[in-house]
Amino acid sequence: MDLNQVRVRVEHLRDKSDFPFAPLEGVGPNLAGWGVIETCLLLPQSVAVMAGPSACLRHSAFMAHARGFTDRFHMLCLSELDMTLGNHLNKVEQGLADIAAQHDAKVIFLIVGCPDYILGTDFTGVIKRLEASTGKRIILGAMAPITIGLKESPFTSAYTSFFEFLKHEPRVPDNGVINLLGTFMPLSDSGELYSVLAAAGMDEVVQIPLCPDLDTFTRMAHARASVVLHPLANGLSGKMEKEMGIPTCFAPTSYGFSTIREQYVKIAKAVGSPLDIDGLEQAARQAAEPLLTDLRGKSVAVGCSINGSSFELALFLIECGLEVDTIFARGTIKPYEWELLARLRAVKPDILVYNASHPALCGQTDTFDQVKIAYGVDAGIFCVNAANVPLSRYQEQKYGFEATLWMLEQTHEALNHPVSNYDWIYGHNFLI
Amino acid sequence: MKRYHRLLPLATGYFGVSSALYDFDGLVVIYGPAGGAWHINIEDEPRWYRGPATVVGAGMLEMDVILGNDDKFISNIVETAKGLKRRFVALSGTPISEIIGTDLKGFARTIAARTGMPVFMVPTAGSEPYPEGASKALLALADTFMDPTAPKRPKGVNVLGAIHLSTGKEGHLEPLFQAIQEDGFELTGVLSAPRPGQDDPLEGVRQAPGAAVNAVISTSGLALAQRMHADYGIPYVVGMPVGLAGRATFLALLHGENPASPSEPERPIPYRHALIIGEPVLSYGLKFCLQRDFGVRRVDVVSVTPSESLFHESAGCVGLLAERGPADLDTDDEARIAGLMNASDVDLIVADPCYQPLLTGATTFVPLPHLAMSARIYWDMPYEYAVDKGYKYLAAQLHGTE
Repeated sequence: MDLNQVRVRVEHLRDKSDFPFAPLEGVGPNLAGWGVIETCLLLPQSVAVMAGPSACLRHSAFMAHARGFTDRFHMLCLSELDMTLGNHLNKVEQGLADIAAQHDAKVIFLIVGCPDYILGTDFTGVIKRLEASTGKRIILGAMAPITIGLKESPFTSAYTSFFEFLKHEPRVPDNGVINLLGTFMPLSDSGELYSVLAAAGMDEVVQIPLCPDLDTFTRMAHARASVVLHPLANGLSGKMEKEMGIPTCFAPTSYGFSTIREQYVKIAKAVGSPLDIDGLEQAARQAAEPLLTDLRGKSVAVGCSINGSSFELALFLIECGLEVDTIFARGTIKPYEWELLARLRAVKPDILVYNASHPALCGQTDTFDQVKIAYGVDAGIFCVNAANVPLSRYQEQKYGFEATLWMLEQTHEALNHPVSNYDWIYGHNFLI
Repeated sequence: MKRYHRLLPLATGYFGVSSALYDFDGLVVIYGPAGGAWHINIEDEPRWYRGPATVVGAGMLEMDVILGNDDKFISNIVETAKGLKRRFVALSGTPISEIIGTDLKGFARTIAARTGMPVFMVPTAGSEPYPEGASKALLALADTFMDPTAPKRPKGVNVLGAIHLSTGKEGHLEPLFQAIQEDGFELTGVLSAPRPGQDDPLEGVRQAPGAAVNAVISTSGLALAQRMHADYGIPYVVGMPVGLAGRATFLALLHGENPASPSEPERPIPYRHALIIGEPVLSYGLKFCLQRDFGVRRVDVVSVTPSESLFHESAGCVGLLAERGPADLDTDDEARIAGLMNASDVDLIVADPCYQPLLTGATTFVPLPHLAMSARIYWDMPYEYAVDKGYKYLAAQLHGTE
């Protein structure tokens, strides 16, 4: 296949329909992070039970085990025939009851797959009876890739379902509390954002992965505002804003000084108070300068498995004098990224954007031999000569100007002490 | 209904199809929603890393299921198959294609007509054991590519069932291949691994009907062996030779000779009751080794995929390196396996490392990865099982020395 079928110049990428179409799913390395199970299990005092054919369960089990969720994850294997005939409802009910008896968790997520989704299996009665008999909340979710692109993704649905545990909480606004949503790994302990928020009077930051129990989790209902760091949480924050009156802003992890400033402005608006970031920006710019010196002119590729937007990172690196000529993306370019693409078009229209899941791209590495730095494990798999900087959601989580410095330090670390892309993928599990 | 908590559910049918066909330069289309093929590649097919597109997903969405959209998918497969210039196209079903009754056989005929390429479908769903999918895939491969007029090779041996989900990295089989060749045989075909130096990865498949005997080293190869006996009159031996006694017995069976009587074990070990958990043919090979080479009196086998077919009378089977014991059983049930592992008289367990968390006591545990359980997790782990190298690995594990 001609590589021109799998790529498009940034100047021609103005709409979703411009993105190269993949006739089949070529299994590019591009889906890192945020499985439905790990999303559900962010909720404290919960367990997840997945019911479906073994093939579907195996996929989720692998991810759950790799992320250390074994103790809170159970599987019920069902045959296609049982599901088609509806013979599985009693089995699922009994299985859930048994698992509920083993755990003191307060919440059980029942996750079904594409077959039950397509068949429209009605679990209402099962859930009602189980809630009555166990005293636990049962939340139905789907790990159903068949729904991709049509409506809210299964991951977003799972995250949004957390609202069930907030909606009845009497809201008593507390100006000292703020929610950070959309983190899987919490922000680093001594993070810049904490100090910025504390200086503005918000010294209680609620992050779901740090909540030890549901009581702590419900502190979110009293927050002054919610800051969403990953689009996954937009559904939940939207509900919290609409139904509970908690202001929200989407301020995703960014790497460029100007975009970081924009995020802080959005946060300041949401909390209704100015944030003092000038000193932080100035210090970061000074600290970044020597780190950038050796990097200028190097050929760079940016992948879509990084924490944040590949287009935003590319934009910043170009502004700093690096030669970004390749971006790996999926067909699901997020709404906020189209504005970033417009800015990229203006500064470097000849960047080539590849569809990382196009079958014709699999195994193609010669084209990227010149790349010296590859951000994201997906870019690293194609750029065999590059130092691979994962910037994974499963590494340390930095936010604000310190994210810029961390990214640059990680780049130098990768150049000086390279870890192979194979090790990032298979040793550190950064691709699942 | 099976329940899993500490274990991964075993690989199923379309994983077996992928495993059986992966190295033959074809395009395997997993006909289902996005994600199915993705996970096979990322988790179960370490050969995927930096390789060409081999296992791809149809990427079906909700409206495709409701509306059918068969024409769209046929066109997509045709476009991809033509563009990638692969040697064949295989279609494999998933739970969704099973539930909605997709006519994959019709798909295959249409795609073959529009591409001029060899195209076949392998009927799989999502709950059957992986050897079933692999077995069907090997039969389809044979039907499509075997040459009935291939020249006869009086010393030719085909190795059947060499799929990575059962046997791991191909390197683990090299000691076996070497032993076969050193004993005067030549390798005609290995299904499913092309031999080094062959420009056409399907050469071994094409020439396989010329071989004198088939060696079946996992249950995935059994149906093909039976078919080849029926079609070409080729007899077969079933077994995975582990250790020294296993090697001698297996080679004798390949020659059509009676194996020598068992002798005293070379290095007895102080274990009295071993439990082996895994793929049946390899597990029975391990049992043979532990009894004959190491003198373990009682060895029970837990076959995690069906083993009955091994013990069925079959006209073509001229040798079987497996002896069913009264306590051997077939199960992949987590609770039942945990119960067996923790029985008070079991003092040695050989199994994939994923089973170890089920163990509550201090029973000696020898790790032997089974890819259909642990996928890529232990892919790079150093271990051996075949012939002399298998003996050395077990000796090192059990004695602490080789």
